[in-house]
Amino acid sequence: MNETTNLLIGIAMGLNLLALGSSRLPTLILAMSAQGVVLGLMPLLIVEPPDWRVLLVAVATVAGKGLVIPHLLRRAMRTAHIDREVEPFIGFVPSLLLGAGGTIAAVAVARTLPLLPEHSGSLLVPGSLASVLTGFVLLIGRAKAISQVCGYLILENGIYLFGLLLIHSTPLLVESGILLDVTVGVFIIGIIVDRIQRAFDSLDTRKLTALRE
Amino acid sequence: MTPGVPLLFSAACLLGGVVCGPRRARTWLALTLAGAAGALGAALLVLGGAPDWEWRHGFAVGGETLHFRLDGLSALFLALLGLVAGTGAIYAQEYWPEAHYPASAPGGRSWWCGLVLGMGLVLVSANGLHFLIAWELFTVCAFFLITLDRQRREVRKAGWLYLAASHAGTVCLFAFFATLAARTGSWEIGPLRGRLDCAPLFWLALAGFGVKAGLFPLHIWLPAAHAGAPSHVSAILSAVAVKMGVYGLIRFSGWLPAPAAAGWVVTGLGAVSALFGIAFALAQNDLKRLLAYCTVENVGIILTGLGAAMLGAAHGDAPWGRLALAGALLHVWNHGAVKALLFFGAGSVLHATGTREMSRLGGLWRAMPWTASLFALGAVAIAGLPPLNGFVSEWLVCLGLFDAATRPGPSAWAATPAAMVLAVAGALALATFAKAAAIVFLGAARTRSAEHAHECGALMRGPMLALAALCLALGLAPVWFWPAIARAAGAWNPAWAGREPPAPLAILGPLQGMLALLAVAAAAGLWWKSRANGWRRGLTWDCGYAHPSARMQYTSGSFAGIAAGWFGWLLRPERRIRRPRGPLPAAASWMERVPETVLERVLGPAGRALLRLSSAARRLQHGRVQAYILYVVAGLLAVGTLVLLGGMP
Repeated sequence: MNETTNLLIGIAMGLNLLALGSSRLPTLILAMSAQGVVLGLMPLLIVEPPDWRVLLVAVATVAGKGLVIPHLLRRAMRTAHIDREVEPFIGFVPSLLLGAGGTIAAVAVARTLPLLPEHSGSLLVPGSLASVLTGFVLLIGRAKAISQVCGYLILENGIYLFGLLLIHSTPLLVESGILLDVTVGVFIIGIIVDRIQRAFDSLDTRKLTALRE
Repeated sequence: MTPGVPLLFSAACLLGGVVCGPRRARTWLALTLAGAAGALGAALLVLGGAPDWEWRHGFAVGGETLHFRLDGLSALFLALLGLVAGTGAIYAQEYWPEAHYPASAPGGRSWWCGLVLGMGLVLVSANGLHFLIAWELFTVCAFFLITLDRQRREVRKAGWLYLAASHAGTVCLFAFFATLAARTGSWEIGPLRGRLDCAPLFWLALAGFGVKAGLFPLHIWLPAAHAGAPSHVSAILSAVAVKMGVYGLIRFSGWLPAPAAAGWVVTGLGAVSALFGIAFALAQNDLKRLLAYCTVENVGIILTGLGAAMLGAAHGDAPWGRLALAGALLHVWNHGAVKALLFFGAGSVLHATGTREMSRLGGLWRAMPWTASLFALGAVAIAGLPPLNGFVSEWLVCLGLFDAATRPGPSAWAATPAAMVLAVAGALALATFAKAAAIVFLGAARTRSAEHAHECGALMRGPMLALAALCLALGLAPVWFWPAIARAAGAWNPAWAGREPPAPLAILGPLQGMLALLAVAAAAGLWWKSRANGWRRGLTWDCGYAHPSARMQYTSGSFAGIAAGWFGWLLRPERRIRRPRGPLPAAASWMERVPETVLERVLGPAGRALLRLSSAARRLQHGRVQAYILYVVAGLLAVGTLVLLGGMP
């Protein structure tokens, strides 16, 4: 089980770098949703044997992060006529370097954390920290609202990954509640993106500085 | 009769004055005079020997039940308040009449009553919360009185400065009273000499009351407010409102145990205020600003006496401490009476000529003999010359310091330099008032407006005469006033409650009387002799020229030039000089201005630096979401690092 989960987390960490390095919005969305699917499968591997509730959560996560949210984002992109370029503040190479450095730092930091013995060999904690950092880099370094939503979702994936540490003690209701929150959040952001587009004729968040006092 | 009856009467009259002030000038005058007389009567009853008045009532204001107390110390200040409130009200009738100031005179009358009522409540409140309410009431009333002439920009500026400085002080007072209430468990204030844990609170009180009292580095509001306010307001500000700060300091240094260093600090601050205050006064060119800085000096003298008294009380209730305290308390009265007289005199000059600039006045004694002679009397008194009252109190303070200096012990180290500084300040005060009286009243008129000056009317002259008579009485027969001073000193420190006057005071009265007789005889002899030889009138400074012109006289700057030069490092005068050059020189000029050093050289730059820092910090808030997230991440990382480095077990 440990090797499989570590493999999946490794794939997720690779997707982080893909998200950081992609210059086109569809690729970014794809990387984000693929990461969601990969992580959605994790509970099935961790909880053995998987009961029906874990199955339900996994299916819901995969469906939400892999299908519903990307669909919402693509539709928002289409209706708002957004260019497909990402428009970075922080260039792709520096972003990648930041992401790679962050991943190495996450592995290093995770070694110093006082973890339970059964978690010490897994990549759960470094993977989650690396995803959170990637999410932050995307949030800070990208100009368009859609790419920021993707950054936020990757950050959420990191938090979700961290939450898997507690899967034995967290009620599944909480997990599904979080998932619902995220989906609704993206839904609302899709609407807001449309509104911003209409009001500013652009989705460039730099233009939102006009709203400050 | 219990003092409560006149006090209640006085409060009712003043409330009536607040209400009817805007409409009925005569009713207002009658009510204010009755209120002032009631306050004065109550104070004199207590000072004359009636027991302390204390009154409680279940009615709650702000959650605290009413509690008033009038003891010797508050009665001393209440008497001064009654005196200046009454004389100022009469003076204002002619000085600030409705005919000339239809917009501000009606409001001014109400604020006057509010101010007097507020200060009276401060004096009788025995509850910290009510003390603060009254304190705020009188601060706000004083603001509106200072800005009566608010069409002028400088007056508005002075008013805002006063309000800001006062509230900076009030913050300290809030902290002081709130902490005191938290420690004692009640807002009631009274003698707490045994509560040693309350001693550090004295520093808060020193800062809070020090702003109002105009202690040297905290005096920033004082010169501009006194100069910009109408003269009757300047008089009550300087004579009474500033004394409220002094009252607070004396009150709470007596009621609370003082920290060990307090006596030293108060003595030092007092001496510094006295010296620097008079140095600034000497360099001023504005008559009312000069008087305002002189107030800083006199507060310094009072606080030097108080500091010495605190040292004396800390060293086993030494008798020299009692002398210094008596001097300080008597100086409260003396300075109040003299400074009100001088501000009335300055107001009379301003009323007659329309300017406070001494370099535009001159030769006024011919047109205004009453004002000139009364101002000269006040100048002699405040310069601390015998046989007038300023000498008596300053002498008592100095005697206390001399006594302390000759005794073995550490207090000699504080008393010796303080006595020396007071002596220097006295000499400079003499120079300052020689300058003020000479430049304004002697010589020839420097401008047309000074030539066409006129004497003030009876309503302005009367209050000045009354105050001058009081100054004479305080100077010639100080023993009459001793019981009152002894009562107040007893309220400060029960160990010093004795009624018998100290020996130096008993012999001082006859000596002063003889000196006065001698002076009168010398003046009469001089007059008789010069009459016998025939008059020859000339300008005061004709410098040997046959036809001197008014422009050849000393100016206020040149009169004080040498002495002000000694303090150049402190005063930092700004000069603009255009010297005559070449064979046919163009017009030459010499302009000199003494800045408000503390305000313009210390507080101003500090404030501007703070503003620059703040606007730099404001650039952090620019509306870019990405950067805001960066702040959050940076903060999280910083906290995380802290936890990793320091918080791990």
